[in-house]
Amino acid sequence: MTSAIEITGLSHYYNKGTPNEVAAIKNANLRIEKGELVAIIGHTGSGKSTLISHFNGLLKPDEGKVFVDGKDIWQSKESLRESRFKVGLCFQYPEYQLFEDTVFKDIAFGPKNMKLDDEEVKRRVLRAAQLAGVKPEHLDKSPFDLSGGEKRRAAIAGVMSMQPQVLVFDEPAAGLDPHARKQLIDMIKSYREQTGCTVIFVSHSMEDVAYLADRIIVINQAEIAMQGSVSEVFSRGDELTSMGLNVPEITRIFLMLREKGYDVPKDVYTVGQAVPHIKRLMEGGRAI
Amino acid sequence: MISGMIMDEKIIEFNNVTFMYDAEDEETGVVSAPAVKGITLAINRGEFMAVLGRNGSGKSTLAKLCNAIYEPYEGDVIVEGMNTREEENGDKIRRKVGMVFQNPDNQIVATIVEDDVAFGPENLGIEPKEIRRRVDEALKSVNMYEHRLRQPHNLSGGQKQRVAIAGVLAMQTDCIVLDEPTAMLDPVGRAEVLQTVKRLNKELGITVIMVTHFMDEAVEADRVVVMSSGEVVMDGTPQQVFSDIEKVRAYGLDVPQSTALCAALSIKENVLNAQQCVDVIDRICGGVK
Repeated sequence: MTSAIEITGLSHYYNKGTPNEVAAIKNANLRIEKGELVAIIGHTGSGKSTLISHFNGLLKPDEGKVFVDGKDIWQSKESLRESRFKVGLCFQYPEYQLFEDTVFKDIAFGPKNMKLDDEEVKRRVLRAAQLAGVKPEHLDKSPFDLSGGEKRRAAIAGVMSMQPQVLVFDEPAAGLDPHARKQLIDMIKSYREQTGCTVIFVSHSMEDVAYLADRIIVINQAEIAMQGSVSEVFSRGDELTSMGLNVPEITRIFLMLREKGYDVPKDVYTVGQAVPHIKRLMEGGRAI
Repeated sequence: MISGMIMDEKIIEFNNVTFMYDAEDEETGVVSAPAVKGITLAINRGEFMAVLGRNGSGKSTLAKLCNAIYEPYEGDVIVEGMNTREEENGDKIRRKVGMVFQNPDNQIVATIVEDDVAFGPENLGIEPKEIRRRVDEALKSVNMYEHRLRQPHNLSGGQKQRVAIAGVLAMQTDCIVLDEPTAMLDPVGRAEVLQTVKRLNKELGITVIMVTHFMDEAVEADRVVVMSSGEVVMDGTPQQVFSDIEKVRAYGLDVPQSTALCAALSIKENVLNAQQCVDVIDRICGGVK
């Protein structure tokens, strides 16, 4: 089976050919399988956004290749166009990109561009609205009459309506309150469960990453520094800290307990996982 | 050190304040729902107050009422004895209370860091020598002095926010209001800004009002105010507010993971961060045997 996205030897430079040339991403190799939910983490300026902008050809690599569904996207005009439909990018604060006079029209913009008939467009809009949690009564409203969280869902539905095989989110929950954040993260989770699509998301919230992702890719100073399961990556807390990242608070507690000599695992990252371990410690403590 | 006596002095007072955007529709006469309603709140000099609440709960409106960006629809906001309703107080109030916003790229105006910090005092018509002194001092306070000749667009988000804070300090404000200053930053940038804010509060005695969605930032404050539907619904120390997990969650907020873990283990103590959590567990277990 072909991978959803495969990147080989990818480098991208800004100000190429000038004295200010800097590598935004250097010799990156990665493979994202179909149906995976992958988190990309890294400090500001590490190259995350540059990397994801290559996934559907918004940026052209200076070196290396990008394959979407097994096809080299820069092979021809057609393959490039195809990659734009196969991989949907949802940028940070996507609600700033809403522009139509109703939510329905905004969500329909993508499918209309794909030259689908009206019936199919409508079907896709309704499906995307349902997946993104846009209330049916909001479809005829102006997007500008919605609250911040509702606008964001409408904007995300506008990407989902293209029915991409891969959906990429750049910090989907930035600026939302804890409740709205939780709802949005749950929405992404159920989107993946309902559609089986590949989902990639960039996040600064290690708690969200721990909750949502199957696998983590860590970018540091324009290079891929780590790739692995959530527990593999978070067990390397010290390295993450040195890269300007952190681990979930629960993981930090467990790493600190280990330092004190307690026999606890280092790959614990949610409250639910933590409780039995600490209970065991506390019972042991009382027994002595 | 801030003495207890100074802490008792009120720097900003909200007296039964209501505010609404587009108060009245001219055609229909329909009055819109207030963004904040009936708020009575006093902020003490030298205090570090965090404001929490869901999106749309009125937090940002409250922040903007603090320095006369908005004028109350009903009630009064008094800043160091001056009513924000009176137009001639506007400039004086904004020199006392400075604001830092969420997006660092929207508040930097100059092409060199030190010019940006000088922008405020220059507009006040202060003499150049004094401006130089203030700019240097402000940049040192936020640990950005060595970056003073750099271009802001080459700085990280956390550095840009610290430049914005320096710009406020150069106005010699007594109080800084920060509206989600870390929302767009990575973990390191967030830590830099929070450390800076804490230091200004503890060392220079500057009053801080910080609107945030991050519970781990709120626990660093002296006082936490929770807003819901335009009203203040909780007000107390971080220990007091976060001890009521059910209530905090009902207002769409969360508690730090450390607090949640201890609650799940039926540990009665109020734990707010990882260190406290480890200490409590270590004590209950009686150390490693």
